[in-house]
Amino acid sequence: MSDLIVGISDIKVSNNANDVIVTYALGSCIGVVVYDPLAKVGGMLHYMLPDSTLDQNKAKDNPAMFADTGIPLLFKTCYKLGAEKKRMLVKAAGGASILDDTNYFRIGQKNIMAMRKIFWKNNVMIEKEDTGLNFNRTIRLEMSTGKVFIRSSGGEMREL
Amino acid sequence: MKTVDRILKSINTIPAFPATGNKVTQLLKKPDYSVTEVANVIKFDPSITANILKMANSTYFGSRQRISTINDAVVYLGQQNLLRAIQTAGVSKYYKKGAQGYYDKVTDLWEHSVAVALMSQIISKKITGQEDTVLYTAALLHDVGKIIMGEFVREALPKISALVSTQRVSFVEAEEIVIGINHAELGGKIAAYWNFPAEIREAISFHHRPDLLQKEEKTMPWIVYIADQACLMLGFGGGIDGLSYRAIDQVFKKFNLRMKDLEMSMVMLTDDLNHARELISII
Repeated sequence: MSDLIVGISDIKVSNNANDVIVTYALGSCIGVVVYDPLAKVGGMLHYMLPDSTLDQNKAKDNPAMFADTGIPLLFKTCYKLGAEKKRMLVKAAGGASILDDTNYFRIGQKNIMAMRKIFWKNNVMIEKEDTGLNFNRTIRLEMSTGKVFIRSSGGEMREL
Repeated sequence: MKTVDRILKSINTIPAFPATGNKVTQLLKKPDYSVTEVANVIKFDPSITANILKMANSTYFGSRQRISTINDAVVYLGQQNLLRAIQTAGVSKYYKKGAQGYYDKVTDLWEHSVAVALMSQIISKKITGQEDTVLYTAALLHDVGKIIMGEFVREALPKISALVSTQRVSFVEAEEIVIGINHAELGGKIAAYWNFPAEIREAISFHHRPDLLQKEEKTMPWIVYIADQACLMLGFGGGIDGLSYRAIDQVFKKFNLRMKDLEMSMVMLTDDLNHARELISII
């Protein structure tokens, strides 16, 4: 079994049942997990910011940095391995915030809203979501089963 | 002995901070310093020497010349980068064991510290138009208190977590309530024991609450604060304390920053981190 590690502003996809896709230390960033149970194709995106209009050159170089460019790319990359949109299950975690989250530090909240809006616009349901609050999260996707596990810093691993 | 006294006493067990950075700073101020003179001061500390050579060719320091000796480093890195490399090497020694109690991995605290140091320069440039090596050192050391606090935080974790999760108390406040001192204040005391100047000590002591330092004109604690919050948000070296720190909104007004500026700094930081892998890998 090998772990595919998703860095910050990064996407990993797989159709290998032996793989586990992992991302560590999500703070206000969000990890989006998709899985097609029939094709057994899945992937994970770890995006940093909500909106690519901030820096379009950067978004071109690395679409996985932003929600609006990363989420479509995650789906397209999975299609190439045989996944189909109508079968894909979506789960998401992250988007934490620092305390008394006021106007300027609310990037976690903005990341959550951006993601929900994109899925809503595209008629995709988010099956499970563990977002907000103020701790770090690690996400694991088991390719053999499609199960997603979350661990918050210092806590136990649990299924999402 | 009370826990706080035990903690304060253990400061004295930390080895003295290498004087190399200070000595080089003094030498570089002389109009007629020689490269050999500076190189000899650096070579006096073999661990610093080895680490500078590991870092010297990182893209972050941007030398166009291949650097393979300390003499090359003195000639080609430029004064500010040379000092940064010396301080990075000096601080790294104390972070090798990490801060168990706060972090899963020994390298987490170092990764976080380097990220905050790099971010402090991005924010400084945005606010003041220039980088600042003293600020860089303060940012690198901002969490130094954690190297001692770690084991005490581990013991007290159930109580600290209960306060943080149920009462919306920040992690530093919970440390203070449960243990009697917080990691920022303790870090300031370690910096004092190492004879760092007041501006570095204050930037460390007040890095979670720069608004409590009654010196409006001081920008250093504020910049370290913003850089730290940004790196916590990005999960660079995320620990048990997570994001449980207070947002001080007035910082944006104070420096005329917008949310977009913070987001843009984050984008720039991910680039800088890619160019500074050698700085992270020295421990």
